[in-house]
Amino acid sequence: MKSIKVVIIILSPFLVAWFALFFGAYDVSPLMVIKILINEGFHFFEIGDIPEKAIIFDIRLPRVLLAGIVGAALSCAGVTLQGIFRNPLVDPFILGISAGAAFGCAITIGFLSFLPLQFTAFIFAIISVIIAYSIARFQGEVSRLPLILSGIIVSAFFTAMVSIVKFLVDPHKLQSIVYWLMGSFSLADWRAVKISLLGFLAGVLPIFLMRWRLNVMSMGDEEAKALGVHVKRERILFIAFSTLAVATATSLCGIIGWVGLMVPHLVRMLTGPDHKTLVPLSISAGAAFMIAADTISRTLTSFDIPVGIITALTGAPFFIYLMKRGGKEAWGK
Amino acid sequence: MLEIKNLSFRHKDSKEDLLKNISFDAYKGQITTILGPNGSGKTTLFKCILGYWKPSKGDIIYDGSSIRDLSYSKRAKILSIVPQEHEPPFPYSVFDVVLMGRASHIGIFSTPSKKDYEIAEKCLDIVGIFHLKDKSYTKISGGERQLTLIARALAQDTPIMLLDEPTSHLDFRNQIVVLKKIKEIAINNSLVILMTLHDPNMAGIFSDKLILINSGLKIAEGRSNEIISETHIKKVYGVEVIRIKFDGYNLIHPKI
Repeated sequence: MKSIKVVIIILSPFLVAWFALFFGAYDVSPLMVIKILINEGFHFFEIGDIPEKAIIFDIRLPRVLLAGIVGAALSCAGVTLQGIFRNPLVDPFILGISAGAAFGCAITIGFLSFLPLQFTAFIFAIISVIIAYSIARFQGEVSRLPLILSGIIVSAFFTAMVSIVKFLVDPHKLQSIVYWLMGSFSLADWRAVKISLLGFLAGVLPIFLMRWRLNVMSMGDEEAKALGVHVKRERILFIAFSTLAVATATSLCGIIGWVGLMVPHLVRMLTGPDHKTLVPLSISAGAAFMIAADTISRTLTSFDIPVGIITALTGAPFFIYLMKRGGKEAWGK
Repeated sequence: MLEIKNLSFRHKDSKEDLLKNISFDAYKGQITTILGPNGSGKTTLFKCILGYWKPSKGDIIYDGSSIRDLSYSKRAKILSIVPQEHEPPFPYSVFDVVLMGRASHIGIFSTPSKKDYEIAEKCLDIVGIFHLKDKSYTKISGGERQLTLIARALAQDTPIMLLDEPTSHLDFRNQIVVLKKIKEIAINNSLVILMTLHDPNMAGIFSDKLILINSGLKIAEGRSNEIISETHIKKVYGVEVIRIKFDGYNLIHPKI
């Protein structure tokens, strides 16, 4: 039973991606999608310069890939931080990444428009985590609670700074800021896919390799130490890799909430809490979920709804469902 | 042999020593039990041995070499700890929990190998809970959880095993089940077993050696018949007891 679920979750992003490629304003048949993809790779047969080709390769495929990679990164960081903070309700933005990135975005749009937005968003996302970690260190040995508290402090600070910028800029720029904060893949192109892939390799891949340690880390600091884990060093590594993954993702597509919280929960309910399987399955399910959410966001109405709205709209009912049914299972209480 | 030598400990800003010059030895294949009231320094002593707290004076020696300042990964190859049973935040299976004992043998960028799986299964078998393998650790009884943690410590494959009040949350039957298992493992695997217990009678029956401590000081050390006496119990716990000799054991019961 469990192995069937595992196979389905592993295959889900590919299946969802295929759907996403033929859904859209311009009709492309499901078979044509496969034909075009195969043809590009192997040149079995000639299909000529049809418009579908451009739609698939220049518009839909980069967008699907970007959504998949970002979903995978957010979900992987979520499951990692939930493990090291020993709390299933932690999300990837707990250390202030989203507020930092938002501030980076706001000052770029507002005042420093000569800088690339993605760059400043990325830098401030990283800076916010470094500040949060440094504040926690004032206490002496860094442990969970001070880290969460300093994450809240940093988030509050940068959120206030974003508000100041929003207050000062002209309405046109304000609109751009607000739109970016809601998260969207409408600007996806191959360059963004390549950058997201770099973030994926730098952040998600090492977490995947270290995933079993999360089991041990989640037993608490003292126990992990007694089991031979260098808790301080490994926690910094996990935080650093998660931060790289999330900061890259956020800088490319804005702030997309709920995915990193919801997907690991769902996978934990379906296939259990062992991080050896939980991490890869969360990566896979995160990709599938994000591609699906983005497909809905661009096909539901005649214009692009920010995908962050779709994920938030699914998040609330999902947690009501969790509280009613599987919550006990998933939270272990 | 584990030697604790003149161990003292005090917190950074404190003037009071929580451990005062404690020395004793613990031997292979034997159970050495530390007995003392709450706040006597049992937990502090364990924290020092485990390296969570640095002793202000003294040394901890295993087979001739000091393990006082070892890194956690090296220490985990010599010492394992069975903590008091607890609930982890996620409902891991019993097998997942036992497998965690292998952490010090597995590289940071890798996952347990086939050999690690075999060792974990063997340890479940030794402790006699193989049938619980796939059960959720959060859904088994306190006694079974304690046995799971013992299996995990066994999987760690260390010559010394520490147990922190292994019977404190257990009913009478489970206390006996767990202590018998500990005794069996100590002999079969010739481990140095060092544990703390609350009940002087249980400690006397199951231990080869007792260390009596109070307010950070070692009061007495010896075989259980030498330690379980009216005067010692009165001195450490401050209660009047009557000693009964039965079947070669010294037992105590409170005066009422």
